[in-house]
Amino acid sequence: MEQKLARSVSIIGTSTLPQRYFDDPMYEGLSIYELWACACHQAMEDAGVKPRDIDKIVYSQMANYVTAGNVLAMVGTLEEWIGLAGKPIIHIEQACASGYIAFMEACNAVASGKCDIVLVAGIETPKHFNSRNQPAHMIRPIAEYEEWWSPGRALFDTTYYRFDGVSDNLLTDEQARLYMKNYGVSEETIDDTYNAMAVNLRRNASRNPRAAERREFAEIAKENGFDDVMEYMRSEEHNRKITRFIRKRGSVLHNVAAGAIVVCSSDIAKKFSQKPIEVIDFASSSNTQRFPYCFHQMNVDVRDALYKDDIDPNELDLMITTVMTSGEQLDSAEVFGYLPEGKGYQYELDGRTCFDGDKPINPHGGDLSFGHAFGASGINMLSEAILQMRGEAGDCQVQKDVRKCLVRGMGGGHTTVGIILETKE
Amino acid sequence: MFKLRPILKTYYDALEEGKVLGMKCQECGDVVWRPLPTCQKCGSTDLEWFDMGDEATIDEIIFENTNLKGDYTFAKANQNFVNKEPYCICVGHFEGGNLFHAALYGVNEDNVDEKISMLPITAKVEFIQMDGGFKSVGFRIKD
Ligand SMILES: [Zn+2]
Repeated sequence: MEQKLARSVSIIGTSTLPQRYFDDPMYEGLSIYELWACACHQAMEDAGVKPRDIDKIVYSQMANYVTAGNVLAMVGTLEEWIGLAGKPIIHIEQACASGYIAFMEACNAVASGKCDIVLVAGIETPKHFNSRNQPAHMIRPIAEYEEWWSPGRALFDTTYYRFDGVSDNLLTDEQARLYMKNYGVSEETIDDTYNAMAVNLRRNASRNPRAAERREFAEIAKENGFDDVMEYMRSEEHNRKITRFIRKRGSVLHNVAAGAIVVCSSDIAKKFSQKPIEVIDFASSSNTQRFPYCFHQMNVDVRDALYKDDIDPNELDLMITTVMTSGEQLDSAEVFGYLPEGKGYQYELDGRTCFDGDKPINPHGGDLSFGHAFGASGINMLSEAILQMRGEAGDCQVQKDVRKCLVRGMGGGHTTVGIILETKE
Repeated sequence: MFKLRPILKTYYDALEEGKVLGMKCQECGDVVWRPLPTCQKCGSTDLEWFDMGDEATIDEIIFENTNLKGDYTFAKANQNFVNKEPYCICVGHFEGGNLFHAALYGVNEDNVDEKISMLPITAKVEFIQMDGGFKSVGFRIKD
């Protein structure tokens, strides 16, 4: 595929900091600043560049005001932690799409010719915060935050636009209703599909040391007296429904994470990386109110903007997609033509979307098991795509060469992004 | 390889023990306070903890006229400081270290002109108790 940017852009470095919770022994006594510094230096070391080589930083974080001591713009501090004080930096906040949008902006900075090497990095701690005037390592559970705060409801004006109660989960429920309506699939089959998806993603995550949850559901089911993992997944006691269609295990896991990627102009990429990855094109769409099925509609918008000329979804070796709740993965895979329309559910039921299947989706484990850290998540997902494309994903490496990869992300129920990457060597 | 280790916690824990820590670059020798895990001069991540000692040189005293109604640096008593004694702002440096801004005690309307005329002068580290249950670092001019 041919690059659609005015100046070709390549990825030359990524971080590999795992998804964890702050109570993990590895993260004891740390704050988001140490994680930020670690991810940024990992990416710079991986790219073989020094802080002085970086021309610009694009940083993504969604909930800094809430979680980082009521700080609105941490940009100067963040630069100092990574030795980049004095360089230009921009902060992107577009909910959980922030990381993807930041990546696109980093690519744009290179494509414009203004910058040669750009660091895109994100940080987020969804489950903890430090209060105003307290050092960042003095973290407390987010439930103790003074004002009632629920990320799902902080994303919209719920008085005028979207009434309070239409949560993200309810919106993803619409994808199930749409699917049943369009393809005559029963509610039981949807439930089985979503459960199979959770099992598949956990199987992937169990092989990925960077994932937050790594115990297979088959093992957990056995422990609870279930020989059949699907019986366990259907049980209200162990996997309750949180909406009509979505069960607990079919909903996003929140954890602290930082991530970073280095992009540069393709003509100098070979100087730094043996396996540079080319950024072919990207597109995004935002939409809050086009009910019903606004998640579905954003997928359609992004697909139409992205798929032109020589881009054929049948050539994709891998799809990585946000999966806040189960319906999102199925809808996205079909809309973007990665799985056949109306038949994608069968691929999930048959395990063909696993890392070792013929149509792998989210071999890293997806947001349901890999984990999800709001504004950093897009960068973490891109990093997993990079590792797969380089053949460096470890035990969750897909069983074929990943030359062409679609990374599709969504944030806040209002922004969807599609990014196409390719290795030319 | 960047070493993932607590920076903030180590710093604040040391303050509780009456010690001010900075970091020293093992490659170029640059010392940074407050501590940062990346050398601000050469970009190295090979930095080690460094005891900054208990006094610093004050290079500038920023002492505004009490008639100014703006961002007052005279008689400022931060709402989060347990001790409400007035302080002003200074620019200073530890020996061999970078310039910093900090709270400075011991300057008042009666002695400010004299103290400014004596710059640079040395000042002792003053541990400021914060109401959030931790300490911050300020300085106090010797009489
Ligand atoms: Zn140095």
